[in-house]
Parts: sequence; C-alpha cells; structure tokens
Amino acid sequence: MSSKPTQFLRFTILCLGGFIFSVPMLWMLSTSLKPIDQTMSLPPTWLPTAAHVEVFGRLVQVGASDIPEDTADDQPVSVAYAYQWHLDLPDVAEPVPVRVLEDPMTDQLDTSIRVIANYHWQAMINGRSTSVRLYDPDTAVPDQGTIDVLVPLRDGTFRRETIPVADLGRVYDRTDEQVDAAISQEQEMTVSITKLRRHIIDWDEREFLAHPLTAEITVPAGSIAYSIHFRWRNYLEAIKEMAYFPQYLFNSLLLCFLTVTGTVISCSLVAYGFSRIEWPGRDKVFFIVLATMMIPFPVVMVPLYGLFRELGWIGTLHPLWVPFWFATPFNIFLLRQFFRTIPRELSEAATIDGCGHIRIFLQVILPLATPAVAVVALFQFLATWNDFLGPLIYLTEQEDFTLALGLQSFQSRQGGTPWHYLMAASTMVVLPVIVLFFLAQRTFIEGISMTGMKG
Amino acid sequence: MILPPWCRRVFLLACATIVAIALTGCGDSRDDRTADGRIILQYWEKWGSFEAEAMRRVVDDYNASQDQVLVKFLTVSQIDQKVLLATAGGNPPDIAGLWGYMVPSYAEKNALTPLDSYIAEAGISGEDYYPALWETVSHRGFVWALPTTPATVALHYNKQLFEEAGLDPERPPQSIAELDAMAEKLTIVELERDGQTIQVRYSDMTTQEQAGIADDSRASEFRIIQLGHSPTYPGWWLPMWGYWWDASLVNDDGTRVTPASEPNLDAMRWIESYTEKYGKNNMLAFGSSFGNFGSPQEPFLEGQIAMVIQGVWMYNFIDQFAPRLEWGVAPFPSAYPNTTPKVTILESDVLVIPKGARHPDAAFDFIRYVNQQGPMEKLCLGHRKFSPLVKTSERFLQDHPNPYIEVFIDLASSPNARTTPLIPLWQEYLSEMNVSINSVYRQVIEPEPAMERVEQRIQKKLDRAVRRWELTKDVRLAEWEQMR
Amino acid sequence: MTPGERQKLRLGLAFISPWIIGFAVFGLYPVAMAVYFSFCDYDILRSPILIGTENYTYMLQDEIFWLSLWNTAYYAAFAVPLGLIMALLCAVLLNKEILGRSIFRTLFYIPAIVPLVGVAMIWLWLFNGQFGLVNYALSYLFGIQGPLWLDDPAWTKNTLILSQVWQIGGTMVLFLAGLQDVPRSLYESAELDGANSLRKFWSITIPMVSPVIYFNLIMGIIGGMQEFVKPFVMLGPDGGPERSALLYAVYLYQNAFTYNNMGYACAMAVVLFGIILFLTWLAHVGMRRHLYYAGD
Repeated sequence: MSSKPTQFLRFTILCLGGFIFSVPMLWMLSTSLKPIDQTMSLPPTWLPTAAHVEVFGRLVQVGASDIPEDTADDQPVSVAYAYQWHLDLPDVAEPVPVRVLEDPMTDQLDTSIRVIANYHWQAMINGRSTSVRLYDPDTAVPDQGTIDVLVPLRDGTFRRETIPVADLGRVYDRTDEQVDAAISQEQEMTVSITKLRRHIIDWDEREFLAHPLTAEITVPAGSIAYSIHFRWRNYLEAIKEMAYFPQYLFNSLLLCFLTVTGTVISCSLVAYGFSRIEWPGRDKVFFIVLATMMIPFPVVMVPLYGLFRELGWIGTLHPLWVPFWFATPFNIFLLRQFFRTIPRELSEAATIDGCGHIRIFLQVILPLATPAVAVVALFQFLATWNDFLGPLIYLTEQEDFTLALGLQSFQSRQGGTPWHYLMAASTMVVLPVIVLFFLAQRTFIEGISMTGMKG
Repeated sequence: MILPPWCRRVFLLACATIVAIALTGCGDSRDDRTADGRIILQYWEKWGSFEAEAMRRVVDDYNASQDQVLVKFLTVSQIDQKVLLATAGGNPPDIAGLWGYMVPSYAEKNALTPLDSYIAEAGISGEDYYPALWETVSHRGFVWALPTTPATVALHYNKQLFEEAGLDPERPPQSIAELDAMAEKLTIVELERDGQTIQVRYSDMTTQEQAGIADDSRASEFRIIQLGHSPTYPGWWLPMWGYWWDASLVNDDGTRVTPASEPNLDAMRWIESYTEKYGKNNMLAFGSSFGNFGSPQEPFLEGQIAMVIQGVWMYNFIDQFAPRLEWGVAPFPSAYPNTTPKVTILESDVLVIPKGARHPDAAFDFIRYVNQQGPMEKLCLGHRKFSPLVKTSERFLQDHPNPYIEVFIDLASSPNARTTPLIPLWQEYLSEMNVSINSVYRQVIEPEPAMERVEQRIQKKLDRAVRRWELTKDVRLAEWEQMR
Repeated sequence: MTPGERQKLRLGLAFISPWIIGFAVFGLYPVAMAVYFSFCDYDILRSPILIGTENYTYMLQDEIFWLSLWNTAYYAAFAVPLGLIMALLCAVLLNKEILGRSIFRTLFYIPAIVPLVGVAMIWLWLFNGQFGLVNYALSYLFGIQGPLWLDDPAWTKNTLILSQVWQIGGTMVLFLAGLQDVPRSLYESAELDGANSLRKFWSITIPMVSPVIYFNLIMGIIGGMQEFVKPFVMLGPDGGPERSALLYAVYLYQNAFTYNNMGYACAMAVVLFGIILFLTWLAHVGMRRHLYYAGD
C-alpha cells in the first residue's frame, strides 16, 4: 500500500499532466468562439468577451480590445464602433444600406453625395418569386414588353427565360449575404445628404454587412460594460467558408461505414482461418502476415496509384475503401489473439452437432468475440476518419473530399484563413472522435486489455 | 455446408451492399449529357470568392448564348497537382484554369492538348496579346493555352505614413537606393532611452541604437512597430527580385540556370541588407505578428508596412477591408532607373485543355468565347485586373474601379515586363530558390554559396530533363504534329 | 499429406483467401513494381524508361535527400524514446487506484485519437511565435522569451517532437493493459525482501512489460520513419524554414506528386523500406535478450 504523501504527489502530477494535455483542446475550443480581433490579442484571453458602450443613445457592442485592465474608471479611452449609412428610398419599405463615396462628415445640409447600393432583380417564375439575373445587365430595362433573365438552378448553373417586364422588380439587399453574390448588382446614385442616416451596428456584425465603416469615440473607461459572449456564429461561417462541408461529412461517414464493414468481415474470416483451423504451414504464413506490417505506405504509394489509375478509380472514393475488404494485418493479428482464447471445447461441441466451419464462425466464435470486433471496428473508424494521405493522393474533386482533407485545403487556400474559423472547423473535425470515445470508452480500454498485447 | 437462413441473408445483404455501392455510390462515369442533349463540360478553376464569381458570370453568359454545350464551373484547391493527377488518372476535366508558369512543365509532361489548329481556325493570333503573355503560352513551338486574367506587380505605398514621416506622398521612390532611405524614415522602433520606453523612427536613432538593433543577442531591447519595407513580404516572387537588377534566371535557350549571376547576387545582398540593418530576430518577430493576406489584419492594410510589392488585385482588398486607406501605386523602383526602368513581373492565368479531355472541340469553343473582347473585359473587370488583349475598349478603362489601373497596364507593355522563367523545371527551381533566399534573409548562409548551391542542384536536374527531352523529342513532336 | 490435412489446408486457405488476394494485389505487386520503377525514369504520364541505377546514384549526391534523412533520424531518435518513457510513466501513475482515474485516462488518451490534421492546426496556433499561447505562458510564468518555434529552423523539429509526445495516449493504454497483467504477488514478495518503489519498478515492472515495450518500440520506429501528416500540414511541402523539418516521407511525397519524379520517389521508398527493416532488426536484436514472457 502506498502512503498518503506519495498518493497526494501522484495525484498532483496527474492533475498537472492532465491540464497540460487538455490545454490544446481547450484553446482550440476557446478560439473557435472568439471574434477575430480577440484571437490575436495579447495577453491571450480564455473567454471571449464583448464590450458594450452607449453610442449616440444606443447600447451597442464596440471594439475595445487594447484597453489595459488596470485603467482607472474615470480615465477617457477611445473605443471603436461600427456603423453603416442607410438611405431612405421613396418606394422601398426599409432603409437601404449604402456605401458612401465621400465621407459625409459635413454640416452643409445642401450637398448631394454619391452613394452605392446593392440590389438584385426579383421575378415571378412559375408562380414563385425568384431572384434572377438580367441576361444583359448593360442595357436599361425597358418600360414594357419582355426581357430575358437568367434563373438560377439548384446545381449552380442558370436557365435563360423570357418574361414580361411587369413581373420584374428591383429589391435592395440589406446585406451581402441575403442573396447570392452572383446575382447582386451595384447601383450608384447621387442623393441629398439629408436622406442619409447613420445606423450604428454591433462590432461583431461588421464581417457580415455590406458596407460597414468604423469610427472612434472617447468614453470614460468605467462606462464600458464587459460580458462573456460566445460567438457560435463562427461555426456557421466556417461551414459556409468550407463550401462543401455537408459533402465532406457525408464522404467521411460513407468511407468509415464501408471500411469498417469491410475490415470486420474480412479480418474476422481470415483470423478464424489462422486460429481455429489447424492446417500445415499455418504459422509460417501467419509470420508473413505480421511481416507485411513492416511495409511502409510510401513504398506502395506510387505503384498503387498506377494500379488505381488503370482501374479508372482516380478521383473516386474506391481506392480509399476497396483495399479494406481484403483484410489488414494488424486487425487480423488482434482478432486472432482473441479467437485463440476461446476454448476449443466450444467449437468441438458444435462440430459434434454437425456444424460446418462457417456456422461455427458465425454462431459460436463471432458472438463471443464481440468485444474484440468492436475494438477493431473502432480502430478502423478512427483510422479512416483521420486518414489524410490517402484522400490527398487519390481524390481530385472538392466534392469528394473527406473532412480531414477539406480542413487542410481550407487552411492552405491562397491567402490563409482567419484563426477563429479555422479552429471552429478543426473542432468540428475533432469533436466526433471525442464523442465517440466517450460513448465507447469501456469497449476501447477493455478491448485493448483483453486483446493482450503479447506477440 | 448447410447454412441457417439468417446467415445467408446476412451474407447476401453484405454482398448486395458492396455491389450496390460500387455501382452507384461513387461511380467514375461522369454524366456528360444534360437531359436536353447538351454536352456537359467540366471546368476546374483555382479561384474562390469574387474571382470565381466573375468567371461564373462569364460561364453563365456562355451557357445562355448557345444550346449545344453546358459548362460546369468548379473551384478546385491545389489545382496544380489535381489537374495533373486527374490527367494521369485518365479522368481529366475538359477545361482547366492554371497559372501561366505551369504551361511548360505540363506541356513537356504531355499533359496538354496543343491548340495551334484551333487557334488558326478561330483567327486568334499572337499579335492580339502582350508579347510576354504569348511567350508564356507557347512551348517547343506549339501553343498550349490561352491567357485569361493577367497581372503585373507594382509598389503599393501608404500615403498617410509617408506624410507622417515627412515624405512627399506624391513622390514614390525612384530607385532601390531611395526606397531603402525612405524605408529608414518609415520604420518605427520601440526602445528604451534614458529609462523611458519610447518609439522613434529608425532614421532618428543614435548610432549605438542602430548597432544595437542589428545585434541579435540584444533583440529583446527593441521592438519594431512599423516597417518601411520588407523584401520578404509578401514573399511570392522572391526568386524574381533579380529582375530589378536586370538579372536573368535562365539563359536564352533554357538549358542553363543562372541564379548565381552577379546581378542576382546583388539582389540577394539587398534582401540580406534588411535583416542586417534591422536585426534578424526583430524582423522575424515582427513578421509573425502579421495577419493573413485577405483579411483586414493584413500588414499593409493595417499600416504595419508602408511599402509593399503587390499585384493589381491588391485594390480589391484595400477596397474591401480598408476603404479609408490613402494609398498610391508606382512602378517598383529598379536598381538602375536610367537603363532599366519600369521593371515588373507579368503573370497570367491561362485556360488549357488537358490531354485526354473528352470534348476538346467544345472545350475550345468556350476558351475562344472567353478570349473575345467583350467577355474578356467582363471577366477582367470582375477581377479588377486589366485585359490581356492589347486592344481594349474605351469603356473598360472608364469603368475600371482601380484608380491606378493605368500604371499596371503601362507596366505590362514595358520592355522590362518579365515572366517567370519558362522552363519545365520551374517548380523545383522555385522551391529551391525560396528555401535558399529565406536562408539568406535569415543570415544562415551568404548569398554567393546559397545561389551556387541552387545552381548546382537545379542544373543537375535540368540536364537530366534536357537529356530526356532529347531522347523522346522525335516521338513527341510527331505526336503533337498529328494532334495539331 | 493425409487427405484430412489436405482438406484442412483447403479450408484454411479458403478462410484466409481475402488476405491472400489483398496481399498479392495491394502488397506484393506494388512492392515489386516500386523496385522496378526505382530503376526507371517515370512520371506517370509517360511510360517508364529504364535508366539503370541513376536514381540511386543521384540520391547519393542529393543533399536534400541526406538532409531529409537526417531530419527524420533526429525526429525519430527523440520522439520514439521520449514517447515511450512518457507513456510508461503515465501508465504507472494511472495503474493504481486513484481519485478520478478514468478522467485522467481519458485526458491522456484523447489527443492520440483525434485527427492529425486537427492536431496540426491546433499546434500551428498554439506555437505561433507572436500570439501563441505557449510563448505567452513561458514569459508569464518563467519570464522566458520563447523561441519562434515553427519559424525558427533550430526549433521546428523540436516542435514536431513535442506534438508527438502529446499524442502518446495509444502507447500509454497498451502499457496500462500490460501493467494490469503483472501479478501482485511479485510485488508483495519483493516488499518482503525490503525493496523500495524504484527497485520494484526497475526489477519487476520493466521486465514484466518488456514485450509491450518491444512492440511499441517497433511500431514507433515504423511510424516515426514515415511521419508525414503533421510536418506536411504544419510546415508545408518544403519542410519549413531552411527545410529544417523536411521529413523523409514529405520529401518523397514532393518528388512523387509535385515534381512527378515517380522513379526517384520509388527509389527513396525502397531505401526507406531497407532502413525500417534494418532498424527493426536492430531493435529486435537489442531487446531479444531482455524480453520476458510471463507465460513461457
């Protein structure tokens, strides 16, 4: 029995180790919930915060990232707030966000200034109101008659249609997002300065609005209200930025399903052949199986590429799952170890009852070996979910990518990516594995112990 | 062997699943006809975001302009590898958008379809384009691609920082020497003086302080707040810095690489002079504080760097993320402004038809469409670039939002507009150069041995490529001649 | 062979037929082809041309090849033993009953199973020279100015090694399984002889788990020499500044799929195979005398 002090020491070491081991994950999670300006702040903060200040009579979220914590309450500090110019148009219900071409920070109320607004065309197509594009955007829309428009289809292409001009209406977009950028257009107009209104917006919303501007305002440090504020929106944005995210997820899951079934079926059959049937030369052949574990993937990488090319499989998912239907050495080894522990008497009894090997395999061995099969299935799931080199080599089209490859191509895209989206995307790739582990923790640990790693 | 019925069911089910998935799940037989009988063309492009949007509009116009062909536009990352691998895999896209510098290596590897006969038929000729661009798309006497959106690079500078430093914002540097002098005025360093932490311009630092900042062991006493210029930012054209010293990277017939020529070494010494002056560790620490390109935290947009070399696309990012930035554009000054003025790198995106594409004729029809003045100007306007065609409409320049577009066009027509070296081994050469120049910048190795090392390694590979070409030349040329 | 044996043989072969087919198609054939290609000039698009041993002679003069070999040797020489020692320590600490044992086990194990691409991303962010948490912690806790990690050639490999040590969970769980099998009676009798904890660890625990050490060492060597994902994602295909972390597998990949020198890549792969075989043999010979099987 170990004494109290040593136990305490052990506990302390474990706590410290556990903390160090979990920091990277926690940091990932924390970053994934921050706004961009807090990802790069020094000193780093663990919890994303939002600062609110009253600006022109409204309480809004402002940018106040560089204010030292020990600032006295009455000291004036400058914070940044964001705003958009809004314009009242006669026949439009809501004020339209616009971009001003000169800064209207003037007191002259009789000036007119040039502004740019985004709009798109909306038309009645088959009785439904649809956003469309003009086929020829360079010429003015006639007052009557018909006009050619392009109607977006689901697969990203357009269909050309001729419709009456009366069915066409102009819609001003509140943000860049509400409508596909492909059909959004800009309109420049000259308006009186009296028609413009400054609309204050939350600091975090800048990224998502059409024409945000920022300005600074000086307030006493004490008037800033700080609160913890998780930006779950990062996840949505990351999914949107990754373009094919649902497709990646589907591909990963499909591949996991295929490789897991393939591995379990083929490896258990082979393991049975190596453990429950006595045939001459069996152990020598098994030694070869073990030896093949030594073949590094790079050795077979190029010729396999050539082989799959001959089969016409490059750019499809086949190379990533078909080989797993032909048994992998490590899993054969694991299952064989386990099958050997099942008492001989059971299968002998079954043989006396007149069962063939297939039946013994299915009705005696497999049910008893469920824990080991579960371990193999889990390992295979992880291996496929985490695989990167295979998809990197064999997949050519973005929509066939797996999550791991999608994540990497998201990061390596020209121009880099913002850290908060990247960490949100990473969290989405990592989290399923962690959840799976928690669900199947006992299977994992017990399965490994039961398999007994004795060569 | 007698099986209980449920076993058989399980087995059959498993087999059925495999077969079903193999047949349907991810078949490699791409549909190449629409329901109404149009040929579907796969078009892979490297662009995302607004650039893709611009091309998508041109594609939509093309699809709407006729009813024989439907082009499907796909954004593909790491396109340089993907297209080659798909071509090798015998399943290439019908049209691919590559960078111009890839043409020689792709052509040499027999991965492209020669376009000569198509071009002759369509009445397109080399005179329609800027000469350097036509060189880019030709290799071994054949034409392999047609340009889409070109770009030149120029000096972008922050006028506000110029004013703060007491410089004339309307007078950008005229030579490298002047750029270096201005950079000293535009660099602000945080340091301790008489027990006070203050920020001073490099040009106002005392001689001891300047010696201190250059001394790496004392890096912690200094912090760079703002930098006049950094030769390694953004670092996308490091091997080509020699062009501003009138250097070449290859000899005329492309059989020898010349990274160690004297003018190139001058350029390397210049790169190294920056780390020598401002201290390696300070520069690296400052460099790791940069936000990503294409974000509002990009150092030029943030005002961390006052002068950068950037392409014509920079306007988009300024417009999007820093609309209030007061900026100017001028030709990046050369070392010898009197003899070699207006140096720039002229690059272009190109459209190719990979070898083995299923519908080359239809694919070329699309490429031909894009290379007409109207669609081309629409595309280039969408990219906020200039047109590769020498003839541009009045309206194009009027409509162009980039206030400095004419600087870029002027540079494109300059006799010192240079392309990347057009040799099949450019990829290897590029990565070798980048690694070595980074080492020079970090003062790990002197310019001379570094460049000699590059020359030795790449020359060996080039000799091998030349030998291989000699071996297969006759077969290849005959084959291409037939495809013409 | 008796008819009974013959039938058994047929049955056995029938059961292992999936492996036989798989081994022939995805093992034997590619390895043979790799050896053949290594004597060719081959770039996938054009047919291979036999060029004799040129790939191998070129390899001898290729400085980058030697550099990548050295980087990989350095990486494996530190990452594998460090990982083994750390994993064994964690396993020993977790072996006895202690408050919150399963939570600790989970905390240590999870990093080992999360996708490597995700790990690489986290690491890139954690070890950012300017805004990274690690450098901030170093200066905050110890007043040390941390290195620029992935930007500093002297530190790139060490960063990779650290990230590998963070992922020792799998090895640790195997050790735990091995430790569970050590009979308590051995410890008890040693205690009667007055052995202290260290002594017990050295004379009982280590020999008893030696098969697991052996297994993990061999697996570690095979894995370490092929390390690809993390260096590739964290430092790009060129291996970071000065190619300081260009590992063998990354250089091989670059030759194969960036430069399309498939022949050279195959020659490198064949050499890698040889190196792995040699190291495994070395480990086997070194450990053989110290292996101890409870059952034997």
